[in-house]
Amino acid sequence: MKLLAIEWLKIKRYRTFWILIGFFVVLLFLWNYEAMKGNIMLGNSKKNHGISIVNSDYSFPQAWSNLGYWGSLFIIFISILVIILTTNEYTYRTNRQNVIDGWKRQQFFHSKVLVVVMLSIFSSLFVVLLGAVLRLSQSGSLTGFFTGFHQMAYFFLLSLDYLGFALFIAIWIKRSGLAIGLFLLYSTIIETILKAVVNNYADKSYGNFLPLQASDELLPFPFPQMIKPMMSASPSFSMHTYALVAVGWCLVYYFVARAMLLRNDW
Amino acid sequence: MATILSIQNIHKSYGPIRALNNVSFEVPEGSVFGVLGPNGSGKTTLLGIVLDVLKAKSGSYNWFNGMPNNAARQQIGALLETPNFYHYLSAWNNLEITSAISGRGKDDRDRVLKQVGLFERKDSRFQTFSLGMKQRLAIGAALLGRPKVLVLDEPTNGLDPAGIAEIRELILALNREGFTIIIASHLLDEVEKVCTHVAILKKGELLLDGPVNEVLLSEDQVEVSAGDIERLRQALTEMTGIKKMNVVNNTILLTCAPAITPLQVNEFCISKGITLSHLMLRKKSLETKFMELTNN
Repeated sequence: MKLLAIEWLKIKRYRTFWILIGFFVVLLFLWNYEAMKGNIMLGNSKKNHGISIVNSDYSFPQAWSNLGYWGSLFIIFISILVIILTTNEYTYRTNRQNVIDGWKRQQFFHSKVLVVVMLSIFSSLFVVLLGAVLRLSQSGSLTGFFTGFHQMAYFFLLSLDYLGFALFIAIWIKRSGLAIGLFLLYSTIIETILKAVVNNYADKSYGNFLPLQASDELLPFPFPQMIKPMMSASPSFSMHTYALVAVGWCLVYYFVARAMLLRNDW
Repeated sequence: MATILSIQNIHKSYGPIRALNNVSFEVPEGSVFGVLGPNGSGKTTLLGIVLDVLKAKSGSYNWFNGMPNNAARQQIGALLETPNFYHYLSAWNNLEITSAISGRGKDDRDRVLKQVGLFERKDSRFQTFSLGMKQRLAIGAALLGRPKVLVLDEPTNGLDPAGIAEIRELILALNREGFTIIIASHLLDEVEKVCTHVAILKKGELLLDGPVNEVLLSEDQVEVSAGDIERLRQALTEMTGIKKMNVVNNTILLTCAPAITPLQVNEFCISKGITLSHLMLRKKSLETKFMELTNN
């Protein structure tokens, strides 16, 4: 708790922190709001008979699928925030000063791990709140709120996976620009290529077990109701397997990053 | 006297470069301990190791006779290499973090900011500070909560002459109050004025260490001159206590035994019927000694 209180001293007056949190909150809200109204379309607008490719059903449990998937895209903002908060310490050399002032190296590491956990909790709570608000604004009731609610647990796990990966990259690379670049490249392009290659050559879709992909599999793209039957291929592995793999990756980030911090010069 | 810091056989390399080679010494309580050496001699590396931001290849160190290192660091005010602060936070809020981590001096911020002359700028963000102001804030942070031990790496970096004099006064004042101060520097002048003990490093090797007045035992020299320099030289060969004579231009440089004073030299010459035209006592400066030690 002491560690977290000190991290809060560092970030509460940091403008970039509030801006990135603001982007996440506002944009995730607007996106889901427009999706619910059926305004997010492929090609053209609603007036011109555009085709809706995203699900606009925000009753439960479908709302959790929608919110979980969109949240998994917008969590990128928070991942970048984690990278900036961590690489700042290297840029300002405050990581050294924190230790000089009396922290153990491990305490420095745990303070950042706690930030990752708190941001994951915050993001998940916000997504849950968004589900409630959107549903209430649409129907005035929260019937079936807890059906499919386990998807919010998946979302929490996904947040941990993404933010933990971001922390790992930041501790490894130490420089903000390069770390953000690598994170974005990995999450959008590199992993997609790796996954395609592995899935092509392996006898099962083991490519789905890649660091971020494992948790992405927990929250698949929310197709609209009418095309759902066409798109639903049977999943390669059970959700339990993916959840376990995601937890595994979180442990890998934790232990590898910790070993790097304890061993190296700062 | 108790030992504040004890360093045993520290080795450290950066790839093929040997930064420290088997360095051992002890810092006694109440001393102003100067770690001296030319640029790149391993001063900052050594302090970095004892503050746990760098890892030694081998060897060990302990603070306060074996107190856990992080607890010891909480009781040490330290400034290593550069002032390290959050650029977007004010001086005031940066010190809040320092005190939250070290557990020292949350209520002491006004005092230290006044002491280092930054009180008027306490609400300005760190990134708006000049180099000298950043350095002052770092010194202020080290002083927070009056830690009994200070580790100052090149504390006068970036300071103007008045600032340098202030820091020197501050170190002397703190030492009189019984604080132990470890100071790394390549500015000998600075060290000569404040240190009670020194350790001299060169290319990672410890050349010598101990109390200043023992290890840098000054061999005083007496400079003399007279109308007939050759007659003076002849006469002085008969004087006891003269270890060495060098004729330089029109003066003779005498290296004497510690008991010999200029007065005795003068009396001796008068007794030989020589009137001196020049008589001067030359203290060998730390700088000369340092150059001798580190140059070959």
